[in-house]
Amino acid sequence: MVGPNRLPSLPDDWLDRECIIPFSFEGKGYQGFAGDTIASALAANGVWVLSRSFKYHRPRGVLTMAGEDTNALVQLDGEPNVPADRRLIEPGLRIQGQNCIGSLKRDWASLLGYFGRFLPPGFYYKAFFKPRGAFAFWEPIIRRMAGLGQIDLHAPHDYHDKAYGFSDVAVVGGGPAGMAAALEAAKAGAEVILIEDGRQLGGSLNFGRYGTDRAAAVNLRHELVATVEASPNITVFTDAVCQALFADNWLPVIQGNRLHKIRTTSVIIATGALEQHIIFRNNDLPGIMMGSAAQRLIHLYGVRPGKRAVIATTNSSGYGVCLDLIENGVEVVAIIDLRDDPPDCPLSSTARAKNIRVISGHTIVEAKARMGNRHVSSIAIARGQGPHQETDPVQRLDCDLVCMCGGYVPAAGLLRHAGADIAYDEETAAFVVTPLIDPIHAAGAVNGVSGLEALTADGRHAGWQAARDGGFEVDARPARPTTDPAGTRPVLLPVTPHPKGKDFVDYDEDLQACDIVNTVADGYTNVELLKRYSTVGMGPSQGRHSALPTVRLAAGALGCSLDDIGLTTARPPVGPITFAQLAGRQFEPVRRTAMHHRHLEKGATMMLAGPWLRPAFYGPEADKETCIREETIAVRNNVGIIDVSTLGGLEVRGSDAAEFMNRIYTFSYTKQLDGRGRYVLMTDETGAIVDDGIAARFHERHFYVTATTGAVDAVYRNMLWHNAQWQLDVDITNVTAAYCGINIAGPNARAVLSPLCEDVDLSVEAFPYMAATEGMVAGIPARILRVGFVGELGYELHAPANCGEALWDALLEAGRDHDIRPFGVEAQRVLRLEKGHIIIGQDTDGLTHPFEAGMGWAIGKKKKDFLGKRAIEIRKKRGTTRQLVGFTLTDGKELPPAEGHIVVRGPDIVGHVTSAASSHTLGKVVGLAYVAPDQQEPGTRLTIKAEGGRIIDAEVVALPFYDPENKRQEL
Amino acid sequence: MADTESSPTPESFLKRSPLYRALRSRGARFMETEGGAVADSFGNGDESENLAVREMAICDLSPLPRHGFKGKGALEWLRKQGVAIGNEDNRAYTQPGGSLVARLAPTEALILGNLSSENALSAQLEGDWSIDTAPDCYAVPRNSANFWFLITGLHAPNMFAKLCGIDLRLHKFPVNAIAQTSVARSVAIIIRADLGAVPAFHLLGDSASALYMLDCLEDAMGEFGGKPVGISAVRRAMKS
Amino acid sequence: MKIMLCPLNGPRNISEFVCRGDVVDRPDPTACSDEAWADYVFMQDNVAGIVREWWYHVATAYWFIAERNTVTDEIVRTYPASEIFHPPVDHGTDSGGRS
Repeated sequence: MVGPNRLPSLPDDWLDRECIIPFSFEGKGYQGFAGDTIASALAANGVWVLSRSFKYHRPRGVLTMAGEDTNALVQLDGEPNVPADRRLIEPGLRIQGQNCIGSLKRDWASLLGYFGRFLPPGFYYKAFFKPRGAFAFWEPIIRRMAGLGQIDLHAPHDYHDKAYGFSDVAVVGGGPAGMAAALEAAKAGAEVILIEDGRQLGGSLNFGRYGTDRAAAVNLRHELVATVEASPNITVFTDAVCQALFADNWLPVIQGNRLHKIRTTSVIIATGALEQHIIFRNNDLPGIMMGSAAQRLIHLYGVRPGKRAVIATTNSSGYGVCLDLIENGVEVVAIIDLRDDPPDCPLSSTARAKNIRVISGHTIVEAKARMGNRHVSSIAIARGQGPHQETDPVQRLDCDLVCMCGGYVPAAGLLRHAGADIAYDEETAAFVVTPLIDPIHAAGAVNGVSGLEALTADGRHAGWQAARDGGFEVDARPARPTTDPAGTRPVLLPVTPHPKGKDFVDYDEDLQACDIVNTVADGYTNVELLKRYSTVGMGPSQGRHSALPTVRLAAGALGCSLDDIGLTTARPPVGPITFAQLAGRQFEPVRRTAMHHRHLEKGATMMLAGPWLRPAFYGPEADKETCIREETIAVRNNVGIIDVSTLGGLEVRGSDAAEFMNRIYTFSYTKQLDGRGRYVLMTDETGAIVDDGIAARFHERHFYVTATTGAVDAVYRNMLWHNAQWQLDVDITNVTAAYCGINIAGPNARAVLSPLCEDVDLSVEAFPYMAATEGMVAGIPARILRVGFVGELGYELHAPANCGEALWDALLEAGRDHDIRPFGVEAQRVLRLEKGHIIIGQDTDGLTHPFEAGMGWAIGKKKKDFLGKRAIEIRKKRGTTRQLVGFTLTDGKELPPAEGHIVVRGPDIVGHVTSAASSHTLGKVVGLAYVAPDQQEPGTRLTIKAEGGRIIDAEVVALPFYDPENKRQEL
Repeated sequence: MADTESSPTPESFLKRSPLYRALRSRGARFMETEGGAVADSFGNGDESENLAVREMAICDLSPLPRHGFKGKGALEWLRKQGVAIGNEDNRAYTQPGGSLVARLAPTEALILGNLSSENALSAQLEGDWSIDTAPDCYAVPRNSANFWFLITGLHAPNMFAKLCGIDLRLHKFPVNAIAQTSVARSVAIIIRADLGAVPAFHLLGDSASALYMLDCLEDAMGEFGGKPVGISAVRRAMKS
Repeated sequence: MKIMLCPLNGPRNISEFVCRGDVVDRPDPTACSDEAWADYVFMQDNVAGIVREWWYHVATAYWFIAERNTVTDEIVRTYPASEIFHPPVDHGTDSGGRS
């Protein structure tokens, strides 16, 4: 037998006793069975302390055995905060306790517990923020003391991904109600996804008592599971946590390393209920656990939870726990029933018949431990409960196990995401979830139902409703369960804090009953403020156990009802999620031009331009400056080619094409001739420049318009939006990806290109500056535009993208004798700057209007309207406040300023640099900057303040810097 | 099986698939089609590719012809050319010659060439269209704008579920259904067009994102044993 | 995630769409006051209740109109823009035609 606390094999436990697994905890070796969780394997070996608490570093152990608490969080190699009561042991697994300084056994920080009265709620706010700056000193110390586990920054990356899922009905919770609901919906023909967070279907049937003989629950589980497994239209997800219920029935379900995004027509929430703890001094000692935790240890893991047990209960379930304990060799010293006059029920009658001592009308007031608070050794009880509670103990009972059966709270987080609320009905002593709106339904314990018959009946009813919502033909509506077995419901009375404290309300945050009372006394009576000030419910267990006692304490302190206090807002996620699960597999589209591999073969350093990869320059990063310089020289003196495939391309076609162009762009296009290009500048309705490009007219009804790489999608969307209102006879198509683009530029451009053109005469007479035509280039159909962005003789070729590589090769081959050279984005930026051409988005911002940018020439004066016309007029009338100008540096040896460096005049900032570069061609630094309107005259001296306060003297010069008469581009 | 020596190289054609390098690095052998080279097989034997087609496979059809027409007179002009187009949007209509015409909107259609033979319809439409002869009907260069993959096999719907939010399960997304949507965050068109009894989906998207999409698809296919196959395996599946 | 009902493509995850805000009347730029123009380009009414909004399905480059309740986030109705916008009888922003 592995471990001294191991019980003989049970037929339905989750262990494979043939397979023994070695692991270590805190450096010491242990053995467990396959199927054991870390916590169950340790418990079987008599190890009960799993971690230290957050604030007082108190030893903590098994509380729920369901992964619902912080006590059981442990550290693995490379993974903190692992729930020891859910994670299975594996061979060689190395486990450490969390939150200790020293070792789990001797944590020096536990001395903090003695100073607990100096650590009230709001302590951090009150203590560490004065004098100013003090928190910077305290913060690292506090963080070290308060952390939850250690992150290993070198832990290996794991593969996580996401997948969509679809169903007619999704059922969350695979207990009796969930399974019954799934079966009923499937019977009507619905496709059902059944989501269970445990290892196997069954929910509380796996461990719960339900009747005087547990066999009824076991048999029901077998029957339901077998029927579910035989249903072809039910898909079962186990070990899967539904983290939220989002709009339109969208469920994020985490299973292993995958996040399933399930869309369903209707939803049934059958998430059950959470057993609650009982508030008494030292209620956190290891050995004190939920009654259901003891049942899980016994039935799922074959672990005897103790030798001598005391059960404290507010309802009939404590009697069921009692029967489970005595049947498995645990002596039950007494059942402390907090109710004054507990009603008889089959469970309590059976327990009494076995001569179990029942002490009603009493409560536990204190637990005591052996040295070091490492395990409970006795409890003290006193008369009464709530306002009538006496704190003087009447009796002490020795024990090594205390089972707390404080009643159940619906696990209604998902329902509350959908807008439902939980209210406590004092008359029936039941929780009611309300209101629910179709197609969201609740079934089973979350719906306040208990008892096997009632749970399955409620499930069938919900399944019927869900199938009906999905439009499936359904039989007669199943009956809803009416009454519950007597005595199952808890009676909730206010809680009385113990005078000496350590009566924990919130185990995560080490909050005691008095902390809640004091927070209310500090004035935080609203439950949301109470939570944030005291931090109650803010730990990993998210108020699963602390919410109810908090409300009871606050209601007691304020003398009002539980509903007057209410609950804090429930938000996703329901349980902890790792960042990896959220990040998952990220999709970040990368766009490559047809010539991409040619650039790589040439050794280009690539850069991202939006989603596109573009060559920055051809050569390694180390040679950046040389490469850029040589590429600019090639274009100015010889010939270069650049891949401009990323430029946007839009077809504007239809009888209203010219009218549409007129309304969208600032120029006039009505009289533009076929076979000619014209500059386009787009402003929005605030008058700000948003895009520019070239429009080539190929037909009276056809313009081909370029847009900037980054803006084309927005420009296209904008054009369509405007025309959705104008309803002009025009069709707009985004053909960006369909065309590759190559710009060939330099004095030898014509010499290289001409031999490739079979049917186009490139002579200056036949094909002058701004001409546009369609023709064959190297056997490839191409649109040829004569443009001059870099200020040299140049042609832009737009050809089908699938021919891009062949066209690029043909041009390089044709230019080989001319030493043609490809150039990248960096060289192009220098070349266009030398010509004073602006880049939208770099030299303009979200406010720049055409007159500020010196582009008043691009506005059609006679046009009645275009998008930005009215706003530009208004802004011009109000007077410009800045002007974009060209500048050079006075000192030839000064390094260029960078984009964003400010232009100052005395104490004022009057503008900033938008572009600057050292021009090899011009032998000086040139740039563009915004300056005050009265500084725009050439010759004006400017002061630029650069990095580290460096002052640069500059002078305004007329644009363009290079070839002011534009002779070269018109060669 | 094609002889490596005699199979053409994609670089010997002006028109090239954006993926020819990627396919070659995975062992593709090419054959000439429509003025380009399409992957014919991957050299692992017919049976292996036949099985992949049935289970989970991707075939690059980018070198095959396809054409788009758009504008308020587009469908009318196509009908005048003898193209059969029904009245439902987002539905594909099979033509007598084997081409598939996808009605994308009341103002737009996409014509996918026949996978198994010469494409008379494509050539005819391409030849007949001009801005002067086709009123309110405008050509869309789908050949170069889009990559064209065929995703085949029983696992295709589950594979797509990892990339796309549309329910493509076979009983929910019938033959000839079309979804214009986002696949791996990139705009795409999905058309169900089974190969006999084998589920198959055309996937067309941004040609500049072809390599990105291939990476995403191969990653998503991994758990289903998916792999690239040549067009011969697809043609065999059409016949059987 | 919410579902948006696209008049062309049917119900889709709302992440496939872009919203462009309320459908508003553009004042006549040649006749309105500066204040009226500024109000048009910069101000939103921020109505609590049912509003008419522009929505765009990215994959099909399709603009349509959705009526949405800003209080409940319920999408009441969606329809093509041509339901309320019609081709112009007279258009021409330029002083003269080409031919």
